[in-house]
Amino acid sequence: MSTIAPEFRLSRFIASLVDIIFWILLIFTIVGLPIVFIMLFYIKLPVINGQLLTPYLALTWLADPSRTIPIIKSFIHSTFFRVAVFPGFGFAALLAAATIFVERKFLAKMQLRVGPLYCGKIEGILQLMGDGLKLMSKEIIIPAKADKPIFWIGPLLFVGTAGAFVSLIPVAPGWVVANPNVGLLAVFATIGFFPIIVVLSAWAANSKWTFIGGLRALHQMISFEIPLILSLLSIVILSGTLNLSQIVESQKHYWWIVFTPISAIVFFITIIAELERIPFDLPEAESEIVAGWLTEFSGMMYGLIQLGTYLKLYAFAGLFTVLFLGGWNGPMVWPPFPTDIITNGITIGPITAKFPGLPLFDQEMLNGTLWFVIKTVGVILVILLPRGVFPRIRIDMLLHTGWYKWIGLAFVNIFIALGLLYAGVLGPGGLIQ
Amino acid sequence: MVKKKEKDKEPSETTDAHSDKPEPTDTDLANTLTKEELRKFYEEKGIDLSLDIPIHPKPIPQFEKSVSDKIASKFGSKVNVDYVRPNRIRMSTKREDILDVAYFIRDELGYDHAESVAGVDYPDSKEIEIVYHLGSYTDEQKESQILSLATRVPREDIPHPGKDRSRTPTLRDVFYSVEFHERECFEMFGVYFEGHPDNRRLLLPEDWADIPPFRKDFKIKGR
Amino acid sequence: MTTPLPPGIELEKIDERIMTLNVGPQHPGSGHMRLIIKVDGDYIVSCDPDPGYVHRGEEKMAEYRNYIQNIPHLERPVIHDSSNILYPYCLAVEELLDIEVPERAKYVRVIASELNRCIYTLYWLAIYGIFLGHSTMFMWPAGDRELFIDLLEAMSGARVTHAFLVPGGVRNDLPANFEERCLRQVNYFEKRLKEYEAIFYQNPLLIARTAGTGILSRTDAIRLGTTGSVLRASGVDFDVRKKEPYDVYENLDFETVVMKEGDSYARSRVPYLEMFESCRIIKDALQKMPKSGSVRTKLKPNPKGGNDEVYRRVESGRGALGYYIVSNNRPEPYRVKISVGSFRNLICIPYLLKGEKLGNMPAVYWSLNYWPVEADR
Repeated sequence: MSTIAPEFRLSRFIASLVDIIFWILLIFTIVGLPIVFIMLFYIKLPVINGQLLTPYLALTWLADPSRTIPIIKSFIHSTFFRVAVFPGFGFAALLAAATIFVERKFLAKMQLRVGPLYCGKIEGILQLMGDGLKLMSKEIIIPAKADKPIFWIGPLLFVGTAGAFVSLIPVAPGWVVANPNVGLLAVFATIGFFPIIVVLSAWAANSKWTFIGGLRALHQMISFEIPLILSLLSIVILSGTLNLSQIVESQKHYWWIVFTPISAIVFFITIIAELERIPFDLPEAESEIVAGWLTEFSGMMYGLIQLGTYLKLYAFAGLFTVLFLGGWNGPMVWPPFPTDIITNGITIGPITAKFPGLPLFDQEMLNGTLWFVIKTVGVILVILLPRGVFPRIRIDMLLHTGWYKWIGLAFVNIFIALGLLYAGVLGPGGLIQ
Repeated sequence: MVKKKEKDKEPSETTDAHSDKPEPTDTDLANTLTKEELRKFYEEKGIDLSLDIPIHPKPIPQFEKSVSDKIASKFGSKVNVDYVRPNRIRMSTKREDILDVAYFIRDELGYDHAESVAGVDYPDSKEIEIVYHLGSYTDEQKESQILSLATRVPREDIPHPGKDRSRTPTLRDVFYSVEFHERECFEMFGVYFEGHPDNRRLLLPEDWADIPPFRKDFKIKGR
Repeated sequence: MTTPLPPGIELEKIDERIMTLNVGPQHPGSGHMRLIIKVDGDYIVSCDPDPGYVHRGEEKMAEYRNYIQNIPHLERPVIHDSSNILYPYCLAVEELLDIEVPERAKYVRVIASELNRCIYTLYWLAIYGIFLGHSTMFMWPAGDRELFIDLLEAMSGARVTHAFLVPGGVRNDLPANFEERCLRQVNYFEKRLKEYEAIFYQNPLLIARTAGTGILSRTDAIRLGTTGSVLRASGVDFDVRKKEPYDVYENLDFETVVMKEGDSYARSRVPYLEMFESCRIIKDALQKMPKSGSVRTKLKPNPKGGNDEVYRRVESGRGALGYYIVSNNRPEPYRVKISVGSFRNLICIPYLLKGEKLGNMPAVYWSLNYWPVEADR
């Protein structure tokens, strides 16, 4: 039973309404109008059908579906879309989320469990969302004597660096966020940031466990970065370029894994170590040092680190695909866009709708993305497989293999690659091209 | 990699070690029969019988007897053999002599480790008894044996662990394995082990400020 | 009371490189205890175990309850091995009260205790797996435990704390068709055990990590008075079931598992191999068991022990487990002392961890077959 509140006064009600309207107007004039002006004067708007697209025009064209597609298309080709949605963050995060789900079910089947089951009705498909909501709603606890600015900025830096790494991975021909000519060097530079972030945040937390974990992570990452870089040199020698897109294009006929299997193995193992996954998860070894350098992170700070870790997983798997498995190269399996729709439009009863600007994505790009995703997911699954099979190894064994064995093995394939190059079999102007 | 025990070895040993175990004889049968009759008789009368039935003395096993005789002949009146049963020997000694007895037991008799160190509180006689249960891994005949070595220390009504008269020499130098057992005994009964390198609390919390809890005058609430 | 400096403090004063780590009681790799570890770089220079976080004074509680009331609470120290921790108590009380146990009850007790030993060992193995970061080895034994838990549930009605063994026999007879079911599940379990070998014990990384770490020599194992799998892994052939057979173990066909290496790998492997022997014992006992008969000698209410004392021991999942009971003509025992394998193996922790790497800490610590709750009692 609801009644009007006893304190109700009509005058006050009207006054509150006026108040709200006043504030809306104020915020619009202070914030909204400048945004409109900034868009008009500073943002370069696309020219569609010979007309410059202004915000007002865009609004009018929204009413006509045939005019909508060019706008979407122009948006798709904008830098923002690349960074945020397709080859960049959104695509990587989606693939990472799918990876987490697959990992959980996969591991559960391996261990005679069922895995996530209830959240989301179908096989616990929304479990990750639930986890994310839980992490977001949790309190963030900062240790009393922590170095607060560095501790706060640690997870953000981690995600940022992982995102930067993701942006260098070409997914389909022409579809890459950043395509520098020294792409591979940029990758090395980006990877080099991780140990610094780890040590900074571990030290800033002012706990013994994070300290030990941070030191372990530092040792591990540095000792495995050298074989990682060395193992990729043979690819550079064979393809003659540092640009990742050009490296993919150089594998049109043969994947480099055919000629550099040892490099591939070394690279694969080093990425497992770089990703701190079992059997190399020493920096987070639970039974030894609680959670290693992640011990003091709580709530969404931990969530961000996890997000960064999975982005990193995607990026490394993508890098493996790009360098060894031919990237987007593969037989054309994607069906071409039906030409009927382009020429005649869609006829629904009496109405015939024409959509200029179709198709949104060309066939090459879709096919390339499909192959890239298939290969990357395959690599990710192989990276995840050891988790169900191996125990964790010890730090001294890890460093020993890193410094002695993998570096030595990485050199082997460099010499093989050089031999192939000088024999004139491969490389620019070689027999097989 | 795995060394399994030879099967043929086992029965011969056990027969050796237990050859002196009493076979059920006619007298034993007669004894049990009379016991049953007695039990019936008492049950009809409704008398509690656990105390009244005399426990028939079991024959003393030979091997255990020989072990206890060795100690008795060496130390004479210093050691009192309390009982000798199959696989179990118990002897008590004064705390001044316990180190000598322990060294003898270790070096001459082949008992090499302590299974437990138990304290028993006797407030009526103002004494606390420390019982070392000693066993052997190296002597094949003595593997089934447990030798209980008991000693008594005076008990204070108002205990002051570590500073009162309740103290006894430690056996840690003789049997290294008593280290943690003696620490437990110290905190639970307040018996200080002289010469023990590490007379600290083990199980009790650091801020325990009551009397040692396993003494009889420490009562559980509500009981 | 003069408080001597805890070992290791003086080390920290000498060298400022030395750092103190409190492993536990809220550490994922400690169990219900604390290990005060001093590390110099990656090496442990001193380790001081601090048990007692789950000390419940079972021995004191036993002095206030009579011989029958003591049954359920005495199995609490190690609920995963509840039959074995009650076994010596029953034997001791039977000796004290002069009770004969029916033949069938003896076999049922042996079966229950062997099933329980497997449950305990699987639980221990699961934790050993996750301590080494092997998550599959955590899930598999934890799942296969259910086989035996179901069997014991059918026997006793309770899944974990059975209170099945009582002085005078067992609480109730076996359910119908128990023999077939038990045989079927034990046979299946033996197949599963062979899969453990493939994924865990022959795993090169596991061998590289545990072999050669925390070596306990035969002499030291004897001197430190260790027991159970720790002792047998160091090459001492000692099993109470063989050396001082209780109930019907002398009629049953099994072997003692002995390994000579004395390292963490051997210590972790001995309990695993003993599960095969347990299966063998169960199958043998099922065959030799009298098919019918009484399973319990009824005690009269409130039985009194004489003015006597008794020490009985059995082989539990963690080694010899002894009960020292002093009685003084009262229905309650005068003093009960439980000598548990975990407490006896506690002395190995500072001994073995000193000089090890920090990364070896869980591998060595949990290979001691140590159950903190039982050690605290």
